[in-house]
Amino acid sequence: MKLLLDSSSSLLFSLLLAQLPVFTSASPVPQRRPSDMDRLSNQTKNLMKLTQELLREHAFDSDVEPHRFRSLPEMSNRSANDLNNLELKPTLSQLHADLKLYEHHFEWLNRVSKKHHHPAVPKLVEMIREIKSLINLLHRQMLRVEAPRLAPATPSLPPHLPYQFDVLQSSHELLQHFKLFCDWAYRAFISLKPKVPAVQ
Amino acid sequence: MPGLLSSPLCLTVVWFLSWSLRPSCAQIWTDEVSDVQYGRLESNVTLACGQSKIGVPVVWYLNHSLALPWHKLMLDGALVLLHVDHSAQGNYSCYDNEGLLLHSVKLRLGRSPGLLSISCQVPNHTYVRCSWVESVKTFLPAKYNASFRGNGHEWRPCVLDVIRKQCDIDHPAFWQTMHTLRITETNSLGSETTFAQFKLHELLKPDPPESVLVKEIEGYPKRLTVSWNFPSSWPLHDAFPLVFQIRYRPRGSIYWSEIYSEENSVIIFDALAGHLHQVQVRARDEVNSESQWSEWSPLLLAQPWKVYPTPDPAVTDDGDYFFPFNTKPETSTAKSHNPVPDAEGNLGLVILLVVFSMVILATVLSLIFVMWLRKRRRNHVTKQELTSMVKMKSMPI
Repeated sequence: MKLLLDSSSSLLFSLLLAQLPVFTSASPVPQRRPSDMDRLSNQTKNLMKLTQELLREHAFDSDVEPHRFRSLPEMSNRSANDLNNLELKPTLSQLHADLKLYEHHFEWLNRVSKKHHHPAVPKLVEMIREIKSLINLLHRQMLRVEAPRLAPATPSLPPHLPYQFDVLQSSHELLQHFKLFCDWAYRAFISLKPKVPAVQ
Repeated sequence: MPGLLSSPLCLTVVWFLSWSLRPSCAQIWTDEVSDVQYGRLESNVTLACGQSKIGVPVVWYLNHSLALPWHKLMLDGALVLLHVDHSAQGNYSCYDNEGLLLHSVKLRLGRSPGLLSISCQVPNHTYVRCSWVESVKTFLPAKYNASFRGNGHEWRPCVLDVIRKQCDIDHPAFWQTMHTLRITETNSLGSETTFAQFKLHELLKPDPPESVLVKEIEGYPKRLTVSWNFPSSWPLHDAFPLVFQIRYRPRGSIYWSEIYSEENSVIIFDALAGHLHQVQVRARDEVNSESQWSEWSPLLLAQPWKVYPTPDPAVTDDGDYFFPFNTKPETSTAKSHNPVPDAEGNLGLVILLVVFSMVILATVLSLIFVMWLRKRRRNHVTKQELTSMVKMKSMPI
């Protein structure tokens, strides 16, 4: 009797537990799984939001462009018309190379910000983590569509920033550039979405 | 013939004719003034009298009149107009004491250009229109030169429309942090270059949505359907999504209700039955939250479907039953786009939640029941043990 009682209670409990995920996952409207391109665009938007937060929180209200960074991805040759005619593989490869370049720049900024005990450091760390995550997602997509990986460009970074003000200026410049890059990249990802072959 | 020409009578006639014709010749000359001299307003302007000799008296005329503005005459015959204003403009001519025209000139007065006040409109990612207003009214014809560039890049011409005082840039390199417009205004008195810096991504402001339509939905006295088109100036491409804000209120109310949507139509579920509603739509770039909202579309008036005096029993208000929104539009509330399929989804979610809470309740009850059984069993065992102990104690050793 004791055994029966024990086993029945455990059975009932297990049954109910087993039902939980069934109930939680059941929904009258079947949810569409986000595609890899959706993930890429969402992650880019997330990065754009983070960048805007950093710019807002560590505001540096200046229109002066210091031009410290000579090796940031070139945006002057990207027009709105280009977005209408993007090719999948070259664009993914280019975006990957651009993101790697930004990753290097932000890692450098993180290092100098740490030296100057800049309060933006925790968010910069988060930013670098999110950039790495986007790079990994993008790399996976590149493998899937067999897009080639471009040779990494060598970043030319300012050698020495003696003052806190220099760090602020550099941070402002880098974030402004990256925000616009994310804007373009997001549009590129949503434009490329219909061009990605369906997964077999 | 030479004898005839040298006769005193003939000489007298020739002299008379030349004397009488002189003023008319001067008249022709003054009308054909080809020289234009420019002078600054509120300053002294000197008009030279051609080749006049020092000490030879000259007479100045302004538009054939001897009445001249405040002036002084120099020894060399030059006319100095003092602290000139617009009334000093006109055709000036100077004559010697014999009435011979020595010089004529047209005087135009104005100012040299000042800095321009420049503003730019960015209705989409492919086009920028910049216009300017002069900070100084020059009163003189001017030439302009305008060019545009992204930071650190080459200047590109900004295509001018001088009459409208604007210039256009097609396909700018939009994704750059800063752009500079340089306009040089030049007139006869000088030139001035104005530089203006812009962040195109912050100036981006779509035109208002077009063809906005508000319609009743038959059978639903609290609903209105609102539809619109993208602004025709906005590129219809996946890369350029727009977000729309719809606001509505019963006519007479001061509070707007709001809905946001990324589609180009919405259904208003909480219109005030039997009342005319004002509806407007505006748009903003969905990706760039730093861009600006468009202007509102023109105000539209519409009334939800009305129940007529002889109601059809088949048509009821049931359709609105499942939407427990605040039906008082006198509250300014922001809602997300909530069309019919989503409402069904909400109903499904409610059912799911009810079922799930029932399951949780059943689980808790079952657990309580099981624990109660186990406790009862344990009590039973303890009782048995006690009984056996008492029995053992009472046994004779």
